[in-house]
Amino acid sequence: MLLPITNASIVARRAEIVAALKEIVPDGVVADPSGLATFDSDALSAYHQMPLVCVLPSNRQQVSDILKYAEGQGVPIVPRGAGTSLSGGALPREDGILIGMGRMKRIIEIDYENGCVVVEPGVTNMNITKAVEANGFYYAPDPSSQIACTIGGNVAENSGGLHCLKYGLTTNNLLGVTMVLPGGEIVTLGGKSGAQGGLDLLGVITGSEGLLGVVVEVVVKILRKAPVTRTLMASFDTVPAAGACVAAIIADGVVPAAMEFMDRRAAEAIEDFNQPGYPKGAEAILIIDADGVQADVAYAVSRVIAIVAQCGGKTVEATDEKQRARIWSGRKAAFAAMGRLAPDMICMDGTIPRHALPQVLEEMAKLSEHYGLGFCNVFHAGDGNLHPLIIFDTMKDGEFERAEAFGADILRLCVKVGGVLSGEHGIGVEKRDLMIDMFTTAELEQQGRVKCAFDAQGLFNPGKVFPTLSACVEQGHIHVHGAQLPHPHLPRY
Amino acid sequence: MSRVANEDQVVDFVHAARAGKTPFEIVAGGTRRAVGRPLLDSKGADLPMLDVSGLSGIVKYEPAELIVTAQPATPLAEIKAVLAQKNQRLGFDPADWSMLLGSNGVATLAGAASCDASGSGKLRHGGARDSLLGFRAVNGLGESFRGGAKVVKNVTGFDLPKLMCGAFGTLGVLTELTFRVYPQPQFATTLCLSDVTPEDGFAHLRKIALSALEPAGLAYLPGNMLAESGQGAALIKLEGARQPLEEKIALAHGLLGNALRRIEDDPFAAIGSGEQFADIPGDIWRVMIARADAPRLAKELNVRHWLGDWAGAVLWMAADPSEAPRIRAIAAKANGQAMLLRGSAASRASLGLFAPQPHALAALNRSVKAAFDPLSLFNPGRL
Repeated sequence: MLLPITNASIVARRAEIVAALKEIVPDGVVADPSGLATFDSDALSAYHQMPLVCVLPSNRQQVSDILKYAEGQGVPIVPRGAGTSLSGGALPREDGILIGMGRMKRIIEIDYENGCVVVEPGVTNMNITKAVEANGFYYAPDPSSQIACTIGGNVAENSGGLHCLKYGLTTNNLLGVTMVLPGGEIVTLGGKSGAQGGLDLLGVITGSEGLLGVVVEVVVKILRKAPVTRTLMASFDTVPAAGACVAAIIADGVVPAAMEFMDRRAAEAIEDFNQPGYPKGAEAILIIDADGVQADVAYAVSRVIAIVAQCGGKTVEATDEKQRARIWSGRKAAFAAMGRLAPDMICMDGTIPRHALPQVLEEMAKLSEHYGLGFCNVFHAGDGNLHPLIIFDTMKDGEFERAEAFGADILRLCVKVGGVLSGEHGIGVEKRDLMIDMFTTAELEQQGRVKCAFDAQGLFNPGKVFPTLSACVEQGHIHVHGAQLPHPHLPRY
Repeated sequence: MSRVANEDQVVDFVHAARAGKTPFEIVAGGTRRAVGRPLLDSKGADLPMLDVSGLSGIVKYEPAELIVTAQPATPLAEIKAVLAQKNQRLGFDPADWSMLLGSNGVATLAGAASCDASGSGKLRHGGARDSLLGFRAVNGLGESFRGGAKVVKNVTGFDLPKLMCGAFGTLGVLTELTFRVYPQPQFATTLCLSDVTPEDGFAHLRKIALSALEPAGLAYLPGNMLAESGQGAALIKLEGARQPLEEKIALAHGLLGNALRRIEDDPFAAIGSGEQFADIPGDIWRVMIARADAPRLAKELNVRHWLGDWAGAVLWMAADPSEAPRIRAIAAKANGQAMLLRGSAASRASLGLFAPQPHALAALNRSVKAAFDPLSLFNPGRL
């Protein structure tokens, strides 16, 4: 991946820029090399870049002043939440100001009557739920990094999670944001009423990967926790049988709260890693959550058991909360478990139409043979979001390059069968150069004009999402070395 | 009027309009033409029309993928019927405003999506923007392009489908839409709590909204909007398979008491489409607010004919045209949006669909519009 060309004249003005930022945020400018090293990467740790300077504003006026200054000086801006992006969305620039939103972490208002919470962007996803769970509520989107990732980052990436099949992504659970536009203007889109009185700019901000502005306040919906949740594990002798079962469950009208697929290699690696008690010898396993009122869940569970049996599978139900937690903790540890099979691993994130699953699995097996590299599959089966994990060893000559090529071929395959490059990790720098495989020039230009409508100078997160004209062929991944994930304490899907 | 039958013809039409710098009105079923500023040229004459009603029909319906792809002018009735055969329904609850607006046209899929016309069922799975996954359209440069995709989970590039919903046809000519669909619950029932004040009625509705009952409709109607007398009624629609539905009804009784009774008819189709207001003279408004403000604002607005849907997050009302400034001011003070859904051409021309936005936001809206349609060819001024 080619990183953007550094503007040397900006780097030459570094001292002056640091001084100006200190005027705006006296206690929140990081300029020394050891301090900056903390920010030189996000969770896509294959890429490192020291920022020009990092600034940590405490309020919206400071954010506005920083953006006004940056525009006046023509300095690029890279917004950052907790730095848990898996696609390099918060990768700094040598000639850019990294604006870290972590200090703005107040919960401003909890409004049960309107079913919403107003927060600053640096509040973690989990802390929204923690603030309301004593009263039986929660915030639905649950990306696996939820203990660390911030709501501002969730808005930037339109984060999903296990339960988005039933409860939607971030975009479906947002009522409003206040954001600072490039140049420092502050606008509010939506609010507790959700109404915007114009174009749905809230919709296009969500998932815009920090290319359109900096969010300084967020209004999210909260939901009442379902009174009953039950978890089933279904095992199958063949992968196609599991795939057919997923389709049959959906076609039957059951909407599970979550439906996860893993193949034999993934299940065995997880079983070796933390013994969640997965069925032995199965070629494919589904983990299914049903939630709702008691009779709703009972009905869904009875339908799932019947359909699994029709598809030739066997079902086991978690008997208590402890077992439920174990089953899910195994699934959440999939990345870490795979990391023990080989020194390095990359994780892809395409979405496909579910009916293409057998074809995609077959072609991935061929690609695996072609590249001489092993892989396994975990898969948000309900919504068609694939996470193939490719395992390799950087120390072996050419394996890293082969793994990258394998990954890119998988994503091209996803696009070929009617799917997309990213279901939930975002494009960032990781998949930027594959955008030309999915979109026509006119389509990329249309998106580029939307970018320009917000950011005429092109100063916001340049080099992310959209390919440069001289697109190179290197492709992206989550790079894991020596089984050490970035943020190793976080569960990953 | 020019009629087109496929996307290539739309492209040709836009190129011609571009060359002649001739703005035009996009019409499918024509049921929503009377919403928003009237589309007139500089001499006050109607704009030329692009009739896309020939772009009709379901392109591909994949029940197991939970998606349906259809051409823009596909009638709502047709798509609902086809989905119902597989026990499914659209992810959003499209509202047909034709009775309210006095149109004898056919309400279409793209019309409902473009006007963000969501009925009472918005409570359940959100509006059109929450279920439009992908589209094809022709922009103001005469280029056909796709936004989004035909899968239910996607963060690849900007989420353009959101922009197309509620843009009132100002960003492009839609030529194909892909929606998420959901299973159709086997049974639905409406519960009614009669003779309650707005304060109590909305409080009851919020109680249900804050429960785990996943209601499909929560509306309050004052007595004069009902066949029965009394102060007003809180209406609650619940859905599910037979047993789960019975459990939900029992839970609702537990929350609101035994005065709650089942009613035979489903009043929500009429509520969501504004049918109740069809024969009431005056301007018709949809005031979107934070739902807990509903009783206070209903009192402050003080109009004779009104009702509250979405647990109070939208107040429908009829008012004399002279009341417009007052209604807009009350909505603005509550951080809400008062949408003029039905009004005389003069009212619509002077008031617009929504109140003017703050300067920076208005400028941003204009920039985004220009990003799709730099010559302002599509439905200029309607939004």
